[in-house]
Amino acid sequence: MDMLVKKSLHSLTGKLLLTIGTLMIVGSTIFWYFLFRHQEKELLENSVKYAYSFVDYIKKSTHYGMITAQSVLIQQTIEAIGSSEGVLSVRIFDCTGKIAYSSKSDEAGVRMKKDSPSCVRCHGTGLSPSDKPVVSFIRNSENKRVLNIMHPIYNERACYTASCHFHSRDQKMLGLVEANVSLAHLDKSIQQQGIAITMYILIFLFVISIALCTILWNLVSTPVSLLKQGMERVAGGDLDYTLDIRTKDEMGDLARAFNAMTSDLKKTKVELVEWGNTLEKKVQEKTQAIHMAQAQLIHSEKLASLGRMAAGVAHEINSPLTGIVTFGHLLLKRFPPGTQEREDVEVIIEQANRCSNIIKGLLGFARASAAEKAPTNVNDVLDRSLNIVRNKADFFNIKLITEFDESLHRVKADASQLQQVFTNMIINAADAVEGKGTITVISKNITDEGQPVAEIEFRDTGTGISPENIEKIFEPFFTTKPVGKGTGLGLAVSHGIIQDHGGKLLVNSKMGEGTSFFVQLPAYREEV
Amino acid sequence: MSKGRILVVDDEDIVRTSCSRTLVPEGYEVTLVKNGFDGLALLEQGPIDLVLTDLKMPEIDGIEILRRVKEKWPQVEVIIITGYQTVDTAVKAIKLGAFDYLEKPFTPDGLIASVAKAFAHKKTA
Repeated sequence: MDMLVKKSLHSLTGKLLLTIGTLMIVGSTIFWYFLFRHQEKELLENSVKYAYSFVDYIKKSTHYGMITAQSVLIQQTIEAIGSSEGVLSVRIFDCTGKIAYSSKSDEAGVRMKKDSPSCVRCHGTGLSPSDKPVVSFIRNSENKRVLNIMHPIYNERACYTASCHFHSRDQKMLGLVEANVSLAHLDKSIQQQGIAITMYILIFLFVISIALCTILWNLVSTPVSLLKQGMERVAGGDLDYTLDIRTKDEMGDLARAFNAMTSDLKKTKVELVEWGNTLEKKVQEKTQAIHMAQAQLIHSEKLASLGRMAAGVAHEINSPLTGIVTFGHLLLKRFPPGTQEREDVEVIIEQANRCSNIIKGLLGFARASAAEKAPTNVNDVLDRSLNIVRNKADFFNIKLITEFDESLHRVKADASQLQQVFTNMIINAADAVEGKGTITVISKNITDEGQPVAEIEFRDTGTGISPENIEKIFEPFFTTKPVGKGTGLGLAVSHGIIQDHGGKLLVNSKMGEGTSFFVQLPAYREEV
Repeated sequence: MSKGRILVVDDEDIVRTSCSRTLVPEGYEVTLVKNGFDGLALLEQGPIDLVLTDLKMPEIDGIEILRRVKEKWPQVEVIIITGYQTVDTAVKAIKLGAFDYLEKPFTPDGLIASVAKAFAHKKTA
């Protein structure tokens, strides 16, 4: 409960209400006080005026009795006047201080002492009794306010010329009239007015407070708590949340700005997420591309350094090989055919030739850049390659099938290098089918990335290439053939040659079903 | 009477020996030198019918010898021998007037055939 009060006091509405309430209560109190005092003063002034005219009325009523010296008439008149409602007492004093007449008949003839309360009012304060009337407020025995008025009776011509000769001409003041009028009615009225004014002000404060509370509640508290709720929702990640404040004031503006901010936030978040996703994908693609480029670079670098090495090795090794071959042949002539020595020398020459072939294979790398390219009919080159191998003993049990597209694109190529590649492919296929099986050579036109390409497929029915080997087949010196059968350079050289022609050498293999090598060469386009 | 005078220029001893051992029994007069300077000096001294020269040698290479021979003694045939063949140099050599282009390691029969063709060509020319 304490907390709630504290919280309410610290809230915007609480503070506003407290401030305005305090100001209004203070203002109303001041207003109430001055109004009340003013009212009271007015009423008292009125009663004083009334008292004057009342005393004047007494004087005039008793005037005739005085002139004609009829004391019974005067006494009767005074008693009559004194019996009026609100009149407590009416007295007429003579100049010696004796009560000449009184509304209370038993008082007549009593001489008042100079220190009695009635006399002190004039004589005690040093005022001259001949001055103007004296008005004072006193409290009676019942503690009710009483208005006391004393009015001097001055000597006048009618007084000293009257037949009774009661007063001499020299006397200035003949006596005085005193009246005590009850102010109980007045006080009651003042009290009632005060209560009424207080009631009016309290009701006014209450109504204003209710109105202020309602207005502040609707204008400030509700929208602010909605805003707070919205901010909490948005902070919690709910970016679909919108504030429903449609007023045209600052709160409405704030809500619209808030909604705009939320929708912007959402858009930005979606963009960020998308960007993050695509970034990941792009990074993956780039990484893959870099890996591929790196692999390609390493491969090219390998081939290039191998080419340089091959050139050097070829130059150095071929001279001693020339010696071995020449002297081998010279020796051969000395031994008649069929002798053991002749066979031994033949082995020497054969092995020297093998060395020479290895060197030639290596030189394939060095040669790749020196191709002489011309528009070439690939089918013709394929025919030549097939004719070379067809008559070899290894191909006797192999079925060679050709499916050539007669309208195959011409390509710009070095025919001898192409023939080297094709021969290599066919020999590899023959090795794969192990002397018996089918080799199919197909040429056809395809489109690769929108460009016309001549594709040659070499399909065998061999054992296939295992997945772990398929990555290595284009590496130099990789071979699965028995020692002495292959150098492991054929595919590497072929790959280099096809790349140099701007083409691709691809492989597709299934274990147990066979392998297809695809040579793809960009079609030659006549320059117009 | 020899079939002809042949000058062999090669920095490799074994190649020079192989040439002489192949060609001398065939009846040619073979002179062996190990560099271009000696070869050109010999050409200045006496008549030579055929020059067999290695392509890649220090200082004066086979192409240079070929060019000078064809400048001064256009009637002399030249056969280029090389340890490794590139199409570039082969084309260049043939354009400069080389008669043939022999790749190492050559067989005695191949060398004899090439030389014989050169002499036959010379006679008809």
